[in-house]
Amino acid sequence: MAKSTNIQIARVHLTSKIGQTFVAVLGVTFGVSMYIFMNSFMNGVNKAQDDLAFRALSHIRIYNQDSRNDYNPIASQVDRTKTVINISNRKSIQYTTGLKNSSAIVSAIKKTTDVVAVSRQVNSNVFFRSGSKQVNGVVSGVELKSEDELYKTAETMIQGEWNNLITYKSGIILGKLLAEKLGLKINNSINVLTSAGVSKNYIVVGIFESNLKTMDETKAYLNIAAARQLIGESSDYASDIMVNIRDRENTVSYIKKIAPLIPYQIESWQEANEQLVAGSELRNIIAIAVSLTILLVAGFGIYNIMTMTINEKIKEIAIMKALGFSGKDIMTIFLTQANVIGIFGAIVGAILGYGISLLINLVPFTIAGMETLPIFFQTQDFLLAVCFGILTTLIAGYLPSRKASKIDPVIIIRG
Amino acid sequence: MEKAISIEIRNLIKYFYEPEKFQVLKGVSFTVNKGEFLSIVGKSGSGKSTLLYVLSTMDTDYEGSLHINGDMLTGKTQNQLAAFRNEHIGFVFQFHYLLPEFSALQNVMLPALKLGKLSVEEIEYKAYESLRLLDLKGQELKNAKRLSGGQQQRVAIARALINSPSVIMGDEPTGNLDTKNSRAVQDIFKQLAQEYGQTIICVTHDPDFANNTDRIIEMQDGLILS
Repeated sequence: MAKSTNIQIARVHLTSKIGQTFVAVLGVTFGVSMYIFMNSFMNGVNKAQDDLAFRALSHIRIYNQDSRNDYNPIASQVDRTKTVINISNRKSIQYTTGLKNSSAIVSAIKKTTDVVAVSRQVNSNVFFRSGSKQVNGVVSGVELKSEDELYKTAETMIQGEWNNLITYKSGIILGKLLAEKLGLKINNSINVLTSAGVSKNYIVVGIFESNLKTMDETKAYLNIAAARQLIGESSDYASDIMVNIRDRENTVSYIKKIAPLIPYQIESWQEANEQLVAGSELRNIIAIAVSLTILLVAGFGIYNIMTMTINEKIKEIAIMKALGFSGKDIMTIFLTQANVIGIFGAIVGAILGYGISLLINLVPFTIAGMETLPIFFQTQDFLLAVCFGILTTLIAGYLPSRKASKIDPVIIIRG
Repeated sequence: MEKAISIEIRNLIKYFYEPEKFQVLKGVSFTVNKGEFLSIVGKSGSGKSTLLYVLSTMDTDYEGSLHINGDMLTGKTQNQLAAFRNEHIGFVFQFHYLLPEFSALQNVMLPALKLGKLSVEEIEYKAYESLRLLDLKGQELKNAKRLSGGQQQRVAIARALINSPSVIMGDEPTGNLDTKNSRAVQDIFKQLAQEYGQTIICVTHDPDFANNTDRIIEMQDGLILS
């Protein structure tokens, strides 16, 4: 019963100065709602950025690169302590590009867990020619179905169909800007010249727009069989194998798992795009720093209000102590007030933060394929914001409450 | 019949340190019997209020010993003393000191709610009774700060009585009351002492009040004169 008495006293304190309580609640509400808004916005930005980036980026890339630049065929033949070796103008002569046994690798990868999609590519630098115009770029021979699984390329088509490449063996799909540069429309013909000097004509069967400028300006898709034919490679050849796994943050452990099976270089997207990782990490840090600052300021506000309240009520605290309320009771009374302010403010703040985020999500923003400012909600942000809000209030309320519990009634009552 | 001892103090010495060291109580000893109605008088600065606050257990910074109802209270912790006060001591302060945001009734009920020995209904009934006894019928639900000074003081007295404490202490308990109400309070105190054996100690300046008590202790310069 004594406990409920303390809570009743706290209730009277809270309700008798409703304006002050309201301001304190508002402090927490503001902090929590800003925390939720900032984080949802940053998550939205990161997600939009990633969605854009992973349109041209697989989680893991397998490729073959001659990285042996220290090979010395003579060193093992002579006594190096007595001989000085100098090979001038050294060149690699037995180096094969690309992956020769690609289907074996693909089936090995498909057997592992966590794989979402695997796709082979035959990439080659070429010149695109149309009449007198000539543009250099990359032609990418792809397996249409798995390529679409990987990048959702079919969604980026603005003219023609992705699957046209299956039906038309000599069809080609161009990036939007590339097509514009060359002045080409659908069903026009285009000449492709490889670095080996092979030249071949294709028919434009589609145009895509990825919103990644470099891609739209330089890239063209062929059927993988047509690409192999173009560069004169066998039917099991691929220059790259792209793999998507279930959780793209898990690339390191996945690469460890498949590395023994594959005699080529394996690269995760994080290694290939450190600036992407750094960007999203930095944005997260900013979001957390800003929202914690807001919560801290709100905490100071509550600390001030609680201190003020306690100074105002110092006589009453003394009288309650004289009547037999212990320091613990006094502490309970004021901590209960802080708690109510915290919980109430946090819940209202969560709702307000959700509302603000929804409103911001309506603001038009039409750059790089976006329509409005991106917002992405995560349950953990809401939980953290509410927890932080309540915790901040509790700490901010604890210090003045402790001070209140230590008030010596005699000093106050004697005046 | 030998009377039971309610309060016993031995060789009470107390110093004030602000603004400079000064001995307020210079070795005070006396006993108060159960059911005794006692007044402490003396000029201001004689140490009578200081003595009362030591007796009240709120002031623990003294030398000597204090027993109430046979319990040694010197050396107990603040929280133990708070619990003891709640159950055994009722207070009436010089400046009445109610909680302004609570109604008269709530103010009276508070110590009993804290003690938690009776149900809320019983406490409420008791509080209404006490307030009626002190001529405050009709004022029960008013906020304490809306009452006049005299009414507030009577509410404070009702509050001091709610837990039926064995000792009631007052610092000028009738200081804000007119003669009629002052008389009424004195009668109530007398009745409590005689019928219920509650010990009552009041510091007062009012000679009428003092003369109406069983015993007068007069203080001067930190010592008991008589």
